[in-house]
Amino acid sequence: MSNLIEFNDVWKTYKMGEEEVNALAGLDLTLKEGSFTAVMGPSGSGKSTFLHIAGILDMPTEGTFRIKGKDTSRLSSKEQAHLRRNEIGFVFQRFNLMPQLTALENVMLPMIDEDLEKAKKLMDRMGLAGKYNKRPGQLSGGEQQRVVISRALINDPSIVLADEPTGELDSKNADAIMQILQDLNKKDGVTIVVVTHNRESAEFADAIIEMKDGKIIS
Amino acid sequence: MNLYKMAFNNIRRRKLRSALTMLGIIIGVATIVVLVGITAGATSVVKEETSSLMYDVTISPSLSSGSSLMDNQTASKVESYPKLYNVTEFTGFQETINGNDVTIQGTNNWKQLKLKTGSSGVVVDSGVAEKLGYTVGSKVKIKDQDMTVTGIAKENGENIYVDQSLAKQMADNKVSAITARTYGDPKTVAEDLQNNITGVSAQTKSEKVAEVQDMVNQSMLFASIIASVGLLVGIISVINTMLISVMERTKQLGILKAIGFTNGEIMGSTLFEAGILGFLGAVIGVVIGAVGIFAAANALHFTDYMSEMLPVWLIVTVIVGSTVLSILAGLYPARRASKLNVVEALRDE
Ligand SMILES: Nc1ncnc2c1ncn2[C@@H]1O[C@H](COP(=O)(O)OP(=O)(O)OP(=O)(O)O)[C@@H](O)[C@H]1O
Ligand SMILES: [Mg+2]
Repeated sequence: MSNLIEFNDVWKTYKMGEEEVNALAGLDLTLKEGSFTAVMGPSGSGKSTFLHIAGILDMPTEGTFRIKGKDTSRLSSKEQAHLRRNEIGFVFQRFNLMPQLTALENVMLPMIDEDLEKAKKLMDRMGLAGKYNKRPGQLSGGEQQRVVISRALINDPSIVLADEPTGELDSKNADAIMQILQDLNKKDGVTIVVVTHNRESAEFADAIIEMKDGKIIS
Repeated sequence: MNLYKMAFNNIRRRKLRSALTMLGIIIGVATIVVLVGITAGATSVVKEETSSLMYDVTISPSLSSGSSLMDNQTASKVESYPKLYNVTEFTGFQETINGNDVTIQGTNNWKQLKLKTGSSGVVVDSGVAEKLGYTVGSKVKIKDQDMTVTGIAKENGENIYVDQSLAKQMADNKVSAITARTYGDPKTVAEDLQNNITGVSAQTKSEKVAEVQDMVNQSMLFASIIASVGLLVGIISVINTMLISVMERTKQLGILKAIGFTNGEIMGSTLFEAGILGFLGAVIGVVIGAVGIFAAANALHFTDYMSEMLPVWLIVTVIVGSTVLSILAGLYPARRASKLNVVEALRDE
């Protein structure tokens, strides 16, 4: 299988007044297409920063990040947006839905070729049958996260990046979400990266990466 | 689902929210409409009421010409005199009807005439009406001209008012006086004119008239200052509202970026929404302003001047202006939001 994403000596430095914080400090990593990886590590170890760069939501301060062989720092903001929309599905810890839209509308928001049936089928698969017209505020945390996952999948991305998707859910709901991600990986061949604090959740993945101080330690 | 549809839904579904956003625009627009409207109305009223005073020189036949009327040739010469502008002719002459002396007055500005009954056209003073037993609809014959009385004036005088053009025609195309504004010092112009055109005398207006003119000009300036303040308040209110409403949606804009919308798409839909809010707010503001104007017109007895107080240009300008201004006001925060780092935007609570 070919490499889907490649981190090459990636640094991300934040300036806090005089002080500099290295959220990432020389990260090297390649992930192959079709892999399912869990990322663990203490708070502040750079997991979210890593995921943001992988999702082209942020740029490395130094080093290169490639997705499908493309160096993201060389892309225009429009090309970056197109990659985000076509190739990447992002799932946040906070559910980050549009509060004024229904569940179905949220799912269809980024859809490139509008297809109501496809959206409904996807939601059914995520266990959201009958919730199409509910607003996020009328859904439970687990349901909202399923809506976010549906939205992330609507354009058939090659990779799904999830930042603590189960962080605000109870263990039953957390397992259900991880089961969905595992299913996607096994049945549809979607590459998946999940950041989690929960060992039990991480066990769903094929490989577990440990981070510390902006680097991968195992 | 496209972002334009979403922008529209944002407004439609969150009615209270949209109403609150629009409130600033509505208040701004209503303020502009009411203040500019009243100023425009008051200006028209003052202009109408004082237009007979708004001249620098009066030109009439000289004593030596032996007539109180000047012929059309002389009038033309005066009117084409290069140092004069805003030239107004006036024809008045005496007639006797059934043994009663009346004065036929050529009238340029009917609004100045206060009517007891009827409408403008052929108006007789109450005094004349009483003596001759005229009512609206009575037939009058002056200089072989058959006319019907259309109104009775409040004035207890001896005048019959007709259109200036008709009065002039009845007086064999003669005029009794011409008023005009002058380029340069009125005194000099008046003297030059007397020397250049035979048979006329030119008088400059009295000190009193000059004083009234000054006062009118000052009060109009004052009124337009007040209207400008209203305009400024309205504009600031519209801009402020748009800035806040886009700023507080930073997080939502961040989500849109994260799921792959381009900066251009986000800008476009944000400005679209701003434009719609500006437009709707302005329409509602104009309606409220119109109600205010109507109330003010009633209170000030300006109802005759309603069309001057709510002119079409004001309505169109205010609606177009508010829409454009809202889009411009949305431009800065929309640009800022579209340029914003996604991660930071999403952290925004
Ligand atoms: N915008 C920022 N400005 C300054 N410092 C930042 C910023 N974002 C992250 N950091 C710092 O970078 C480091 C890595 O942060 P990051 O969010 O990637 O950690 P994390 O592993 O996701 O932690 P957690 O498990 O708590 O979510 C931390 O020390 C954090 O304080
Ligand atoms: Mg994190």
